[in-house]
Amino acid sequence: MKDHAATLRKTAFSLLALVVLISAGLQFYRHRNLREPVVLGPGVTDVKNLSDYFDGISGTINDAHVYVLEGEEPGGAILVLGGSHPEEPAGRLAAWIFAENAVVQKGRLFLILSTNRSATTVTRLGGAYPTDYSIETNFGSRTFRMGDRWSNPLDQWPDPEIYIHYPSRQELAYIDIRNINRTWPGRPHGTLTEQTCFAMTELIKKEGIDIVIDLHEAELQYPVISTIVAHSKGQDLAAFSSMMISGMEGFNIGMENSPEALRGLSHREIGDHTDAISLLLEAPEPFLDATRGRTDRKLLLEGKDRFIVRAGKHGLLFEKIDENGWPIALRVGRHCSTLLQIFELWTEEKADRGLVVSGVPRYSDIVDRGVGAFLKNPATADPNRIVYE
Amino acid sequence: MTLSPEIILLSMVAAYILAKLFKISTELSMFFAALAGALAGGAGIPARHIAEGAFTYLDIILIFITATFFMNLLKESGGVAFVIRGILRKFHHSKILLFLLLTLILLIPGALTGAGSVTVLITGGMIAVVLGYMGLSRPRTAAIVFIIAGLSAAAPPVSLWAMLTAAGVNMPYVGFFLPLLIPCVLLSLLTIFILGWKGKRVDLDKALKELPEAPDKMNWLRVILPFVAFFFLIAAGRVWPHSLPIVGLPLMFVVSALLSLLLSPIRLSVFRIARDTIRQLLPLIGTLTCVGILVQIMTLTGVRGLIAVTVVTLPVFIVVATLALTLPVSEAVLMWGAAPVLGVPLVLLFNTIGLNPIVALAGMSVIWPLGDALPPTAIIGRLTKDTVHMEEPYREMLKHCLIPAVLIAVVGTLMVLFSKKLAFLTML
Repeated sequence: MKDHAATLRKTAFSLLALVVLISAGLQFYRHRNLREPVVLGPGVTDVKNLSDYFDGISGTINDAHVYVLEGEEPGGAILVLGGSHPEEPAGRLAAWIFAENAVVQKGRLFLILSTNRSATTVTRLGGAYPTDYSIETNFGSRTFRMGDRWSNPLDQWPDPEIYIHYPSRQELAYIDIRNINRTWPGRPHGTLTEQTCFAMTELIKKEGIDIVIDLHEAELQYPVISTIVAHSKGQDLAAFSSMMISGMEGFNIGMENSPEALRGLSHREIGDHTDAISLLLEAPEPFLDATRGRTDRKLLLEGKDRFIVRAGKHGLLFEKIDENGWPIALRVGRHCSTLLQIFELWTEEKADRGLVVSGVPRYSDIVDRGVGAFLKNPATADPNRIVYE
Repeated sequence: MTLSPEIILLSMVAAYILAKLFKISTELSMFFAALAGALAGGAGIPARHIAEGAFTYLDIILIFITATFFMNLLKESGGVAFVIRGILRKFHHSKILLFLLLTLILLIPGALTGAGSVTVLITGGMIAVVLGYMGLSRPRTAAIVFIIAGLSAAAPPVSLWAMLTAAGVNMPYVGFFLPLLIPCVLLSLLTIFILGWKGKRVDLDKALKELPEAPDKMNWLRVILPFVAFFFLIAAGRVWPHSLPIVGLPLMFVVSALLSLLLSPIRLSVFRIARDTIRQLLPLIGTLTCVGILVQIMTLTGVRGLIAVTVVTLPVFIVVATLALTLPVSEAVLMWGAAPVLGVPLVLLFNTIGLNPIVALAGMSVIWPLGDALPPTAIIGRLTKDTVHMEEPYREMLKHCLIPAVLIAVVGTLMVLFSKKLAFLTML
């Protein structure tokens, strides 16, 4: 009788485990293989891949598309990185808006929407992230993969017990060997994440990039927030941009110097190892806060959370938050306007290396009309002008 | 309509208590609490979250399995008996020398890997036998191994709590060496001398008579080579990190296990030992799997945020005064996940009020491992109980942990409080 009950119990649990495994497996598969269309805007003149700059990345999940927007008039070259940390969607969406809307009159603009594509295919263990999110548009919605801060262990595993950064040999937490914003400037025979950085470093050198701008978001309890982090080569540009934005765009953004002691970050290593100026933009993302409440798509897109408001009232945050939260339109709008201001100031300063861009909405446009108003409809687009991320 | 995190937390606690009343195991009770939380939170039975949560601690589980397999092979080959007999012959005359040696042996594996479990599994069993021959009870021995294993995990060069928290506040992991090394070494020595003081000098003849004989062909080379291989792989990863492939701790232990098998003077039944290893570890693997699921559901439903915000919004003096409670409890529930959840806001809070964040975080890192003895996980505590073959109730070990735990809590809290004055230790 006892054996019978035990067998029954084991069978029941085995069946339950099987159902969970199949259901979860299907969801993991759908997440990893969700196709995200990019409707190439009128300004996109070429779509390259990172493997065009470093063959070692060819055939891997991180052989990202590089969207090239070249103006008729020669000028400078700027690279914008979205999706370094795919759990920070505003950076990816801002780059997406540029790819689908921007027209370049002068110079060349390079866009990468999935800087760490591997990290777009996984969500944080224990983090309870949604696998995707949808942006409402007037033709329906566009769905994007939600990702993590680190490359997918399916693509890069195991981790060492300690991560030693190349070339500084600084010791970092083991998990950061999969963090693309700790593996710059990268190395050709390194891990997938290091190779991805190496490919981008090669791109920067071979294309003669003047400025690299890495788009991020940060939790409100993180001290580096609502700011432009600048390598010493870009301090003036960042400071002027910060002043102009605060005066003209309807929001405030600070400016910070890239610390020399913290290695592997884009704003430090790109500036040190290439001729380019490196900048990193941070927008506020309450979804990432450790004190957040319910973890769902609503929080990701609206940025409203009463626990974080409570933490703010106790002085634990480095950015304000109230019951209106930090909607995605504000965060994407901040990135778009900051990028445009940097382009404009750079062009004023260095006319021969300038970049003139039009067609991209500014902060106030995106806040008024929403992110979806600036995403194109793949169903009605020319199929030859659609690329999948 | 979705329930508030407060109500969801209550329903999870109720489900856990109910499951325990029905005499369901701790692991499954946690699983049912997670299910209750998901249902109350309006998430139904979230298959993906259950699967994702279950994989949270996969790497740790693999380390447990491979390290235990290695040690079991070594034991079956007679290597453990050989080492213990050797240590006793050499050091039986001096308790102080023996204690210094044992502390060093216990500190090294955890300090190099950041995992107290590695200390317990690699050296804990052998040390326990030696302490047993000094007349120390099993619970007292287990307490020594557990406390020093925890301190070894906090000790430099690899302290995961400090590293993960530092990464979360954009602080480089530099300046931590002395603030971590000094308290960890001093507290380890205090622990072994306080708990082991009543230990007698080993009666060598009696011990050698009682200990199992090692096979005739067993020698130091056969025992040491697998360890040399393990430490070589660790060291090689540090010295040539950019020239060698990443091996990972589980594969390092597999290499050591294979060497142990090849060097064994007697024929070993690999499959039986592998089966016994899994059987031995199954409750721990179950706990880690279910804790991962529980944490995932707590995060999904906002319960984790509720707990985190409640702790960090207490008045500062209460936050500091209760560090000895909140840090171990967070460790007991979240394990290393406690660093980003509680460590990050606490370090930012301490930084805001003018304390030195490096020394304060080092102080916190010394306190955190105490939570590894507490339910619901009590992973390292239970691992220690099993490794030292303690048959007494688990609470007996906890009783002996009390004095060193209080010392650790006091030292850690004082390091936070006086972090500014101790800032010279960072040498920055």
